[in-house]
Amino acid sequence: MDEVQLLERFLMVGALLFGIGLVGFLSRRNMIVMFLAAEMMLQGISVSLVGWGRFHNDWGGQILVIFILAVAACEAAIALALVLMLFHRSGKLDVAVWQSIRESNQPKFVDQQLPEEPAAVEHWPVLPQSGVEPELPVEEMIHRSHV
Amino acid sequence: MFNAETLMVLIPALPLAATLFVGLFGFVLLKQRSHIPVIAALVASFVFSLFLLREVTRETAREEGYASVGVEKLVRLWTWADIEDAYRQGEDGEGVERPFDIDVTLRADPLTAIMLSMVTFISTLVAIYAVGYMHGDPGYPRFFAYVSLFVFSMTMLVSVSNFVLLYVFWEAVGLCSYLLIGYWYEKPEAAAAGKKAFLVNRVGDFGFALGLFLIWTTYGTLNFHDVGADGALLSAAAEANDEVAIRGVLGQSRLHDPAKSYVGGGVGLAICLCLLAGACGKSAQFPLHVWLPDAMEGPTPVSALIHAATMVTAGVYMCTRCTPLFAASPEAQAAVAVVGGFTALLAGLIALTQNDLKRVMAYSTVSQLGYMFLAVGTGLLTGIGAGMFHLFTHAFFKALLFLASGSVMHAMGGNCDMLRFSGLRRIMPWTHGTFLAGALALCGVFPFAGFYSKDAILAAVHDRGHHDFVLLAGSSLEFSLYETLYYAGMFTAFLTAIYTFRAFFMTFYGDTRVPPEAGHHAHESPPSMIGPLVILAGFALLVGMAANYYGFVNFLHHTPSLAFSGLPAGSHDEAAHAQVEGLSTILALSGIGIAAFLYLGERRQLEKLSLWMRAAKLYEVSFYKLSFNKFFIDPIYNALIVAPLRLLANASYWCDQKLVDGLVNFSGRMPRLFGAMLRPLQNGLLQFYALAMMLGLVVLIGTLLMWPAS
Repeated sequence: MDEVQLLERFLMVGALLFGIGLVGFLSRRNMIVMFLAAEMMLQGISVSLVGWGRFHNDWGGQILVIFILAVAACEAAIALALVLMLFHRSGKLDVAVWQSIRESNQPKFVDQQLPEEPAAVEHWPVLPQSGVEPELPVEEMIHRSHV
Repeated sequence: MFNAETLMVLIPALPLAATLFVGLFGFVLLKQRSHIPVIAALVASFVFSLFLLREVTRETAREEGYASVGVEKLVRLWTWADIEDAYRQGEDGEGVERPFDIDVTLRADPLTAIMLSMVTFISTLVAIYAVGYMHGDPGYPRFFAYVSLFVFSMTMLVSVSNFVLLYVFWEAVGLCSYLLIGYWYEKPEAAAAGKKAFLVNRVGDFGFALGLFLIWTTYGTLNFHDVGADGALLSAAAEANDEVAIRGVLGQSRLHDPAKSYVGGGVGLAICLCLLAGACGKSAQFPLHVWLPDAMEGPTPVSALIHAATMVTAGVYMCTRCTPLFAASPEAQAAVAVVGGFTALLAGLIALTQNDLKRVMAYSTVSQLGYMFLAVGTGLLTGIGAGMFHLFTHAFFKALLFLASGSVMHAMGGNCDMLRFSGLRRIMPWTHGTFLAGALALCGVFPFAGFYSKDAILAAVHDRGHHDFVLLAGSSLEFSLYETLYYAGMFTAFLTAIYTFRAFFMTFYGDTRVPPEAGHHAHESPPSMIGPLVILAGFALLVGMAANYYGFVNFLHHTPSLAFSGLPAGSHDEAAHAQVEGLSTILALSGIGIAAFLYLGERRQLEKLSLWMRAAKLYEVSFYKLSFNKFFIDPIYNALIVAPLRLLANASYWCDQKLVDGLVNFSGRMPRLFGAMLRPLQNGLLQFYALAMMLGLVVLIGTLLMWPAS
């Protein structure tokens, strides 16, 4: 396998990672998942950096990736702390809860609720009456205490 | 104690200091004691005015030694404006450059000294009276600050020696009158009256300003006095052979040779008519008299101050001061006399039927000012002297009448409709007595002050109407004009007696009736109000005799403006004047008699008269209605001037609001329009921002790839 092919595969993996991360970032609203997706994009870039470093026979790329990992670790600590704070505030991980930085007269984004399904009519089995009708304890029923 | 220069400065400076003091500390510190500094300043000013009068009198006695025209003293305070080559006259090839300089220079001469004494005296009494009248008013300090400012403006007006400064203080007096007439600004009538006074005065002042421009282009300076080559003041006492660099309009060098120095003809006439317009505005003469009766909305002391001492006399003063200019233009003098005579008659006719006590007095003031203009318009020394004499005596008895009316109004709970009260002589004996003295003086009954001054005016007009007395060249038309004016003046004297005593009898005689507003305190006024009334009544009785018309005119003759050789002296024909005096006294007494016949006692004659007029259907179309409605002058002005102006103003307002502002507002709305288009992008959703970022990235990278590689 020559160097060019190797680079192509590096780049392909990097692009895949970046693309999956991008799609995940844009389509998910859970803040932790969004954070994971962002990390994934970062790793995609890192992989392509390593690939290019190798292709050019230069350690710069890998050194940069080491830096990126270190920075990403710090960032992860801060980001998760922030997410935790936001979760404490709202009790939800949904990022759409935090939309108050919009223009003041813009309508608030509200999730469209699914239309409620009509409750199914319940059919209970009806049993035919049979046997002797029990006597009701009339005395007890009409009794009133004199309290 | 002080020399004349110090006195000249102190007289206006003290009221100004009082104004500043009361204005700054009145509401904080002085409150109901605000009158103390003002009265102290006015009394001191009055005393200094008397000292100044004595100084000037001494000068006039010494004057024979000087080769000067009249007596004047000048003191230069500072130079307000000094512009080199402000005026260039290059029509005939030779360029004349003149500097435009405004010296803040005060002057003292007999005219100024008399005006100063009169103004400060009346103002002092009015201020003392106002202590009682304005007692408990929430704006007490404000009132006294305004009064003091008013006196400052008026003393400056009569002291300054420059037309521009005269104009400045002319306006300052107008401003003060506006402030004081609209003093009770919560009342819409008072606010409107103040505005009306200000605007009507503005019309006259416009004429005055045009007159000043003409004087500047014609005479090349606006100073009254001469200025030497080194900028030194040249007064009457200066050496006659000093080099005169700029010849003042009323300066010695011009007055030495009036025939060559003053421009007559069209330009002279225009200047004089412009000045007359200004004087008409300030002194409430015919076309512009409408503001003065409305000025009654102010507090009564203000009415007395405006009518007697400070404001309305300014026009007469100015015409007297500018006598050399008027003397150069006989047509202008005739115009002054005609305006004066007509106003006197018109206002006298209106005053006959007014039912508001103060309004009667207001029209009487207009009428008496008409007399003064008539006198000044004769252009004789005796006439102008008589005009100033009437101004002087009128100040006392008109102040008295106004203050007495104010006393009535005070007791009647602010009401001065004569139909609603009568027989007040039992409630207010002091007011009744003093009012009677003022009324007799106004009618010109011997020996009250008005007798001497009014008869002097009528005698001067009489002389002017007869060739034998004045030895003036002039067309017979001119003489017959003055003769007509003489009869108009006589008739006005008759009317004066009727309306004055009509008001007097309606107010003080008949059954005692008091309007409900007065409540239980329909009583005589407090001593601080009665005191000034008694003093003024004494003056109304004595001042005519004491001041002695001939002595007064002789003294006034030492004023530079009246001492020049071109002024005809008028005659002192005793027999003819005795005839005039006799006629006017008979007319005054018969006027009083008619008023008594109609209004005294049961007023049966009046009822008969009005029944007869109703029966003859004269009531609706008669002169009565014309007079009662003031000859419909206000509605006519409203229709002819106010309504078109208001229409124009509304049109301008519409243009401003809709067109100009519309354009500006439209350009102001443009950014907001763009903003509204972009605003939906900011929807606060994180994913949306991320998507936008990504799309942007795609566009960027796409552009980069598509860009032709160079």
